[in-house]
Amino acid sequence: MIIRNLAIRHGRRALASPVSRPWLRLFSTQPTDMATAFAPAPATTSTGSTTVTQQSLDEAEALKEAKRIRELQFKNMPGEFRELRHLEKRTKSLGSEIVLDAYVPDESLKNPPDDASLEMLMASQAHMGHNTSSWNPANSRYIYGVRAGIHIISLESIASHLRRAARVVEEVAYRGGLILFVGTRRGHMPVVVRAAELAGACHLFEKWTPGTITNRDQILASAPLLMVNHQDDPLNGFVEHLQDRRPLVPDLVVCLNPLENYTLLYECGLASVPTIGIIDTDADPTCVTYQIPANDDSLRAVSLIAAVLGRAGQRGQKRRREAAAEGIVTWETPDEDQRFIDRKIYLDEKEKAEIEAARPQTRSGPAAEQATRGDFNIEQKFAEMFKNGNTGGPQGRRGPPRASRRR
Amino acid sequence: MGRNFRAARVYETVRDFLETDVVKRAAGQRARKPPAWFSAVQMIPPTELLTRPHPIQHSPPDTNARRPHNVYRPTKIVYPEDQMRYQFYKDHPWELARPKLLLEHDGKDGRHRDWSKGLRQPGMALSGESVVQRQLWLLENTPGMSVAEAYDAARHEFYKLRQQEDIARRIAVEEARYVGAYFGKGPIQVSMINEDKAYDEWRVWAYGHIQKAAALREQGSAQVVDMPDVLDVDVGDEGAAAAEAPVIPQ
Repeated sequence: MIIRNLAIRHGRRALASPVSRPWLRLFSTQPTDMATAFAPAPATTSTGSTTVTQQSLDEAEALKEAKRIRELQFKNMPGEFRELRHLEKRTKSLGSEIVLDAYVPDESLKNPPDDASLEMLMASQAHMGHNTSSWNPANSRYIYGVRAGIHIISLESIASHLRRAARVVEEVAYRGGLILFVGTRRGHMPVVVRAAELAGACHLFEKWTPGTITNRDQILASAPLLMVNHQDDPLNGFVEHLQDRRPLVPDLVVCLNPLENYTLLYECGLASVPTIGIIDTDADPTCVTYQIPANDDSLRAVSLIAAVLGRAGQRGQKRRREAAAEGIVTWETPDEDQRFIDRKIYLDEKEKAEIEAARPQTRSGPAAEQATRGDFNIEQKFAEMFKNGNTGGPQGRRGPPRASRRR
Repeated sequence: MGRNFRAARVYETVRDFLETDVVKRAAGQRARKPPAWFSAVQMIPPTELLTRPHPIQHSPPDTNARRPHNVYRPTKIVYPEDQMRYQFYKDHPWELARPKLLLEHDGKDGRHRDWSKGLRQPGMALSGESVVQRQLWLLENTPGMSVAEAYDAARHEFYKLRQQEDIARRIAVEEARYVGAYFGKGPIQVSMINEDKAYDEWRVWAYGHIQKAAALREQGSAQVVDMPDVLDVDVGDEGAAAAEAPVIPQ
């Protein structure tokens, strides 16, 4: 495009002074060499000789000129950028309308879909399995047929298993469960982080440290814990408890590449943690609880599946928060936290009673007698409370504090 | 050997443990609380695992076989277009050299195709696939048409369109040259340059070969006695200088 016409067309500089050289460069086809544009001025070499040759004079001139141009570019940059943005805005609507929407690689991250249709799964290459000779026959129920030397995974089975897994993620999130999204291959990081962000879950995109569940007292000893209430607000007064308490175990693990995370899935099996995994035609379907038969080698397919699961988690979190706002708590305080709370209440009441008893009594009359009698029977009162396997503590709709899902 | 079913049985494991919680019962207390995922997994059981149902038969099974083999193996997916594609690319092998776009947008390309209208379809490049689909449409929608006739009709339409493309390309080059564009070397030019290079290399090799052959001959005739001087011709200074300097014959 010729600069002269550009200026005339957009009118702003039609009759203005000629365009400055830096602006020409902005629109030229030659890319500005940013390294040299922003490179610091070369240090002048101090030579022993005092003779000034013509060559050195020319070099000095050239350096000065280069420096002048650089400084001019620096000065004009904000204005030029504004000009550029203005022109982009003006010309954006020009051009053909044939390609209004096209495939964008991060569409699953920017606009995660609620559900994946069969066409979307096919376009993401989710149906492409491995070479027929490297299959696991345990997966034969998910395979549609053989084409071009590979097994083709049935699109209907992908969709139905994905929807089932999405329901599990949603329900676990609704019940306040701790969900972990795992994807350790190259390119999985943004996918896993986005899915976890949507679902209010945790993510892992590097190697799983073996023993993070079975040996969690050692490995997660320094991981901070947080106590939250039914509306996700942090609670005070649990510092000592959180220091003593065992580290958390996830309630659901979603693994995007089970073939490379055998240790993680084995530990989940030992600890009775349900797992969801993308099972390709060469993977072992028994390593996870909920299989999603799909192509785990296509980043596009994995991204789509993780986005759908992330959205499901988001729906579950929303339902949980809405219920909490109405006073309905969809979960129960875990046993160890509840034990701490009950013990604390018991000890606090005991302490209060002791203080009351130690205070000199100056009151008299039936009211005073009743009060003192009540105080001295505090131990008996609590023994009765805890008698029939009742762990005490406030029951019912106004939820008690619970252990955190967050680090 | 042996499979690990722990993952598939997480619900049953935890349920059985909660029902028979020995520790708590001994203490006279209520059983432990179930984990947060328990009621969710109870409501949504995992799918059936490890069974091998009879696979989808994409071609009619062989009824003559007394004992069918590989009954549980997934079958090959076949389409009527496969033979047509094979025939087309066998007849037009250079069509395979054309670049092909493998990326799909939303998987709904098939909805925008109408093969009754011809070979050109929106969002699809003209290729052997267009010919095959058009051929299939003609076969199914024209009464009394055979496969060969449909193929001929479709490929002749294809030839017309390719010819139009070639003409358009040629005119575009002319127009571009007229307004100042220049292009790189054409295939013929590149071939000529390569040929010239190869020829020059050959010449150098050939001269060296001639020199070696001459040296061998001289060696072979070293025993022969020199002829008397009367046969030597006096060529003068110029001739002597020329005779001494090695000249590569042009």
